[in-house]
Amino acid sequence: MEELRKVLNEAKNRLIESFGLEPDVLLPDIRYRVIEEIVSTSIIREKVELTLTDVIDDAILNKYLGIPVFLSLAWMMFQFTFSVAAPIVDAVDMFFSWIGEIIGEYISNSFLASFLADGIVGGLGTILVFVPNIFFLFLALSALEDSGYLARVAFIFDRLMRKFRLSGRSIIPHLIGFGCNVPGVMATRTIAGENERILTAITNPLISCSARLPVYVLFAGVFFPDNSPTIIFSLYMLGIVLAFLISFVVGRFFLKGKPSPLIMELPEYSMPETRTLLMHMWERGIMFVKKAGTVILAGVIAIWALSNLPLGVKSVEESYLGILGHIMEPLFKPFGWDWRIAVSIVFGFVAKEIVVGALGMIYGVEEEALEHVISQTMTPLSAYAFMTFVLIYVPCVATLAAIKGELGWKWAIFSAIYEVILAYLVALMIMVIGGVMLS
Amino acid sequence: MKRIRVALAGNPNVGKSVIFNALTGGRQHVGNWPGKTIEKKEGICYHRGYELYIVDLPGIYSLTTFSPEELIARDYILNEKPDVVVNIVDASNLRRNLYLSIQLMELGARLIIALNKSDLAESLGYEIDEKRLEKNLGVPVVPTVATRKIGLQELCDKIVEVVERGAPPSSITYPEIVEAEIERIRKVLEKDPMIRESYNTRWLAIKLLEGDEEAERRILAKLKGG
Repeated sequence: MEELRKVLNEAKNRLIESFGLEPDVLLPDIRYRVIEEIVSTSIIREKVELTLTDVIDDAILNKYLGIPVFLSLAWMMFQFTFSVAAPIVDAVDMFFSWIGEIIGEYISNSFLASFLADGIVGGLGTILVFVPNIFFLFLALSALEDSGYLARVAFIFDRLMRKFRLSGRSIIPHLIGFGCNVPGVMATRTIAGENERILTAITNPLISCSARLPVYVLFAGVFFPDNSPTIIFSLYMLGIVLAFLISFVVGRFFLKGKPSPLIMELPEYSMPETRTLLMHMWERGIMFVKKAGTVILAGVIAIWALSNLPLGVKSVEESYLGILGHIMEPLFKPFGWDWRIAVSIVFGFVAKEIVVGALGMIYGVEEEALEHVISQTMTPLSAYAFMTFVLIYVPCVATLAAIKGELGWKWAIFSAIYEVILAYLVALMIMVIGGVMLS
Repeated sequence: MKRIRVALAGNPNVGKSVIFNALTGGRQHVGNWPGKTIEKKEGICYHRGYELYIVDLPGIYSLTTFSPEELIARDYILNEKPDVVVNIVDASNLRRNLYLSIQLMELGARLIIALNKSDLAESLGYEIDEKRLEKNLGVPVVPTVATRKIGLQELCDKIVEVVERGAPPSSITYPEIVEAEIERIRKVLEKDPMIRESYNTRWLAIKLLEGDEEAERRILAKLKGG
């Protein structure tokens, strides 16, 4: 063994000296050259015509154009998701307010009426109004996927991702993460290298899933009514940038080993079929609705209980929820959040949409009035800090379970801890830098 | 009846499954590779008094150890030492496909190349000189169009012929300086009887030079396990 080590080292050094390349680059390089020679002498005639795919790829896979094209497409996708869905969101909103009113009118038992109107309808309603947004986001994602563009995104980003210890393939789990981090984390299985797989999975929760959307839509709508798609886009971008940074830091200081190469096949471009698109949108979107019917419903009921117990409390402030909020308040003082906002984030651990439901219940109002109340309690800067905090802090339970399933407890706990710390630091930085810039 | 063990190898989407199904028809068994959730297909085909036992390896682009599919294919060829490896190559995408072929040759496999989708390649404007390709590679090349069952008889003929003739495996030659280093490492490896008997030492030397972790593990296991 000793002798083998010695001979190997000498060989490597001599080859580096002669060719200026490490053997692990040199040998594949020689193989490709041999292939080129074999192919060029055995092919009599080669394809000369360019297909449409070749022409499009010339532009889209271009070294300089690739990323700008992606960013414009992504931005268009968000405009589509929010602007087009807006009237439908309003309609759903009206529907839930109407149901709330009816319950208030027809049920005389005030405890039951409160449970149904504030708990179920108030809590669930505040979340379900975002269903149209989520369906439209999935529709846009499916269109990009079926056209063949998403596969190219992996290729476009490989060079960049490598600098951050990720692989081009990491982009697929991350794109899925925009829908939901759970399938996103599970999709990391297809990544070849161990390190790339770990880094992609633990940074996936930083990719803003559709569950954060209700929080953004609410706060951006209230505090930045004129340019809310842009504000929301900036949060998505912040998530991506943080995912890259964390990946780099963890990859650089906590992991050993070599990166693995990216080899993938690019499918021909094709026109997405309307039927398939609608099917994809429905399948993924309905998952959100089902979640609303189970996990979120349970969370909402728990919050309602906490805010109405111990029995006989006159206001939320005296309830268990209020007590917890007051304990947490000092911690979030620098962000300008009162106890209500502070306690709402506790429930995001169950599922991030519940933050909105919790706020609805704590203020004891429905969606429309909630917007008014919130606008009174904080500044736009505090609201932005709140959105970034919700983006970053702890993955939801389901995502943590997925990380545990793929990588084990160690990485799941690591993800939860680093994200809480990161969320606090970033929110603090936003308050400090924003404060300086605005004054 | 004499048995010939054949492994099918190739990139994804080259028509490997079509060839496997055409050859084995109803005589196949589908299971999993041990300990993996990757499908393993085996089947039997009779040809000229031989029983061809055919295993369909997972579709792969190279023989590194980055994915479980690649590892399965590589381990199968290394450990089970099939009599012939049929490498199915997409004629319309020769460059990419041959990278795997070269690695299969290096692994010490006795290779036959099935140049599949030759009709598609032609319609796309390619014209390949198969005889020249055969000579350049040092490996038999059989053109096929699996979807229309063209060339499959010839492929089976070639499998039998290669085994009967006992053709030696072929490999590419590296530049002299590199060859000298490979040879030096190989000599050290040859000193160990366990390694000499179990492995193609040239392949092992190349892999060690490339820093292949799996190859290093194999050597350590042999030295320790005895």
